[in-house]
Amino acid sequence: MPEALLETRDLSRRFGALAAVDGVSLSFAEGRVHAVIGPNGAGKSTFLNLLSGELRATSGRVFFRGQELTRATPDRISRLGIARSYQSANVFAELSCGECVWLASHSRARTLVFPSAGVAERARRALATCGLAERAGVRARQLSYGEQRQLEIGMILATDPQIFLLDEPLAGLGHDEAQRIVALLQELARRHTIVLVEHDMDAVFSIADTITVLVDGRVLESGAPDFIRQSERVREAYLGSDAP
Amino acid sequence: MISSRARLFLALGALALAAVPASGDRFWMQFLGKAMIGGIFAMSLDLLVGFAGLVSLAHAAFFGLGAYLLAGLSNRYQLAQMALTLPICMAGAAAGALIIGWLSLRAAGVYFIMVTLAFTQMLYYFLNDAPWFGGSDGLYVALRPLSNPIAAYYAIWIALVAVFAFLLLLLRSPFGRVLIGIRGNEQRMRSLGFPTRQYLLAAFVLAGSLAGLAGYLDANLYGFVNPALFGWRESGLVLMTVLLGGKGTLHGPALGALLLALLQQQGERLTEHWTAIIGAVVIAVVLFLPRGVAGLLEARRA
Repeated sequence: MPEALLETRDLSRRFGALAAVDGVSLSFAEGRVHAVIGPNGAGKSTFLNLLSGELRATSGRVFFRGQELTRATPDRISRLGIARSYQSANVFAELSCGECVWLASHSRARTLVFPSAGVAERARRALATCGLAERAGVRARQLSYGEQRQLEIGMILATDPQIFLLDEPLAGLGHDEAQRIVALLQELARRHTIVLVEHDMDAVFSIADTITVLVDGRVLESGAPDFIRQSERVREAYLGSDAP
Repeated sequence: MISSRARLFLALGALALAAVPASGDRFWMQFLGKAMIGGIFAMSLDLLVGFAGLVSLAHAAFFGLGAYLLAGLSNRYQLAQMALTLPICMAGAAAGALIIGWLSLRAAGVYFIMVTLAFTQMLYYFLNDAPWFGGSDGLYVALRPLSNPIAAYYAIWIALVAVFAFLLLLLRSPFGRVLIGIRGNEQRMRSLGFPTRQYLLAAFVLAGSLAGLAGYLDANLYGFVNPALFGWRESGLVLMTVLLGGKGTLHGPALGALLLALLQQQGERLTEHWTAIIGAVVIAVVLFLPRGVAGLLEARRA
């Protein structure tokens, strides 16, 4: 068993009477792609928001490399090396692609006033990796939706993270655009730890090393893709709630 | 950021302002001195409104602090030397901005505006009722750091050019780009790892100290301060100046201050209801020139 990079213990978040996330204990191993799937309303985004500090847990704890960060702010969590993307493209619409990745890269700089060459270089590499090197001067809002999703990944790549929390990176994309993002994720997966929330099952089963199924805020099943594919309980949960 | 046409216009304008004392006309020196102080004040607010996305109604408080501190130092301690009083007054305004900003930035959006307004009003009523500060009558600046009108005028001119250059460089620096990022999407900046509130507080303090500089120069020019400097009317007027000139352009608010001073001076000669003229002009600019007077300079280029 590889070392757990990120770990939750009995993590819960209630909204009034609703337990959106209910006693989830998961451990995300270093260097692996761990997908979190489940029907709509299963609590996947809430779970990511708890990991990234955008929501506070009602109870339970979160550890990163053994260090507790249950109550940490989003900016501190990000500086520790936990980067997240959002369900819809969350870029700086009025800035150019180059400026967007530059800002992301600068978040790791120690200088306030003087520009640093390292920052620009890291930004340039991130933009190249996400496939937008030629679009550096284009304003983010002029990009296609697929390119905005690429830029979003480029931005978090520029923060040089140790773990990526990706919230439905394929949502709303056409087939070709989705293929481009899948290739990008496979590229990232070779060197990074990824927590992937995604609805596209083909993508999930082709990328993930481990899959966890959330239903009603609880872990239904967790294991290797083959195990999940053959699980009766998973099949029932999906057919029970998502049958056409 | 600034077109070459606008740059030429600004450089010529600055040179023309520098030449005014040669005419020896006391009225114009006083009038333009006041307009340039308004320009410094408005540019300092533009850092917040136009670049950091913070609409503050506390800005008059920092102008007032700079002015009152000079009056207090001069009246109570017979201190006038600029090398001593200017840093003290700017630091005092910065300290006020640190306290008010630290508390106000816990609120966001319209609540931030209301909290900044509340602090300004608190200071207004405090000074209005504090005999040590002259109460509602205010204070005379017994000893002015620069009593020679020509020296006072050039000090204002140098401050205007220096503040413009400083803010321009600041906004091009990584710090300024982070502020612009926060204006665009604060939540995203936080999730990228920026402690956004600390950045905004730094901008608030910086803008406050520059407003203090404007207040200092104002107290020196007029030799008199009163609690009205802290009124919400002053905060509203400088915000209007920024919008009139074009927020987020830096030179726009400086031009807006000059325009407002001219409107006021001409309006006063026409009618005692001159504020109505200013109101009409502001409405017209907001409706027809969304980018303010500065937008006019840019539009001609195309």
